[in-house]
Amino acid sequence: MNETKPKIVIVPCSGIGKPYGTVSREAAYQVTEDDRPEDTQLIALSLLVLGDEEARQAVAANPSITIDGCKLACASKMVKESGGKIAQEFDVLDVFRRYRDFKPKGIAELNEDGQKLALALSREIELVVDMLSSSSNPEGGSNA
Amino acid sequence: MPDLPKKKVGIVACSGEELSEGTITRLAALKVLERLRPEDTVTICLPLFLAGGQGDRAFAKFHPTITIDGCDKLCAARSTEMYSNKPAASFIVSDLIAENGLSKPSGKRKMDEAGMRAVEIIAQRMAEKVDELLGKSWNRRQGEFIIPEDKSPVSDESDDETSVQATCSCGSGIPIQKIAINGNFMTVIGLPLMFETFFGNKEPATEQTAKSILEMVKIYNSIPQEDEELLVEALLREYTEYVQKGTSV
Repeated sequence: MNETKPKIVIVPCSGIGKPYGTVSREAAYQVTEDDRPEDTQLIALSLLVLGDEEARQAVAANPSITIDGCKLACASKMVKESGGKIAQEFDVLDVFRRYRDFKPKGIAELNEDGQKLALALSREIELVVDMLSSSSNPEGGSNA
Repeated sequence: MPDLPKKKVGIVACSGEELSEGTITRLAALKVLERLRPEDTVTICLPLFLAGGQGDRAFAKFHPTITIDGCDKLCAARSTEMYSNKPAASFIVSDLIAENGLSKPSGKRKMDEAGMRAVEIIAQRMAEKVDELLGKSWNRRQGEFIIPEDKSPVSDESDDETSVQATCSCGSGIPIQKIAINGNFMTVIGLPLMFETFFGNKEPATEQTAKSILEMVKIYNSIPQEDEELLVEALLREYTEYVQKGTSV
């Protein structure tokens, strides 16, 4: 049997006006590329804005985790508008409040604090990913 | 009178996080915004067109925009046209890479050398397009732009009650104007640009013109029906003043 495992959708902010957008992307890459590639897939916000059918289907069929860089919450709004169900919304500003020592700077390239904040955020996301993965797979299979 | 903002070009990057080319759009856009043409450009968040970015939609309606897409899905160009206005110019990273005989880039978080080369070339092309759209030309001898004389009716006086300011969380900078209605101030998104448009079309300061301005105001602002009559009066008053200043320059 070779069933394709459903993947949790990760949708980061795509803003380039502030470092928080970059933190959201960096955390998303950390989860989808490095730490939980088997359990997650990254969907670009621009595809949802355009209404790309494949992207819409992915968010409609799988639980999503959104990571927003500001209170306008574009990622969360777009997932909802695309018919998706959000398992967990993350706001980089809220995470920053928990890790005030990590002051992110730089948009094209994050400073060290920004990298640390992104890593801290990715750890929080991975807890949710693991919880969702184990609930959809009673036999286990967590990457933790 | 409002201090009309300097005309700028909006840069809309697809930012496609799942492709290396998407990262190139972001980095090229940032290079133009932060280094090559910081005075002449603003960024417009693509998702804000849908997620409540009234100011962003209005900005792209009044200002020229350059879109930069990573692939031929053209998310930035098509969404900008769909939700605001046709872009003044559009670039596609994959096309520019082929056009310039560059190697395929790799890396989404950290660009490889081929990717960085693409960023440089694309950013330069975008900067040249910005100059073209703003009608600027480069003075080789002085090493600076030849700035055309601004013919818009701008007053040197500042007036706190009718201040114009940039808004939008991602720094798009759509101009607004506050106008007095029944002793309260209403913020009207894009009003300075609407006045500029009507003045440029030599529309007289009449009640009919004020009603036409109101119709445009309603596209970008939520106006309660009961306020419309008072708003026409206020628009006529403000536009009359604008025209008087403009014609006296």
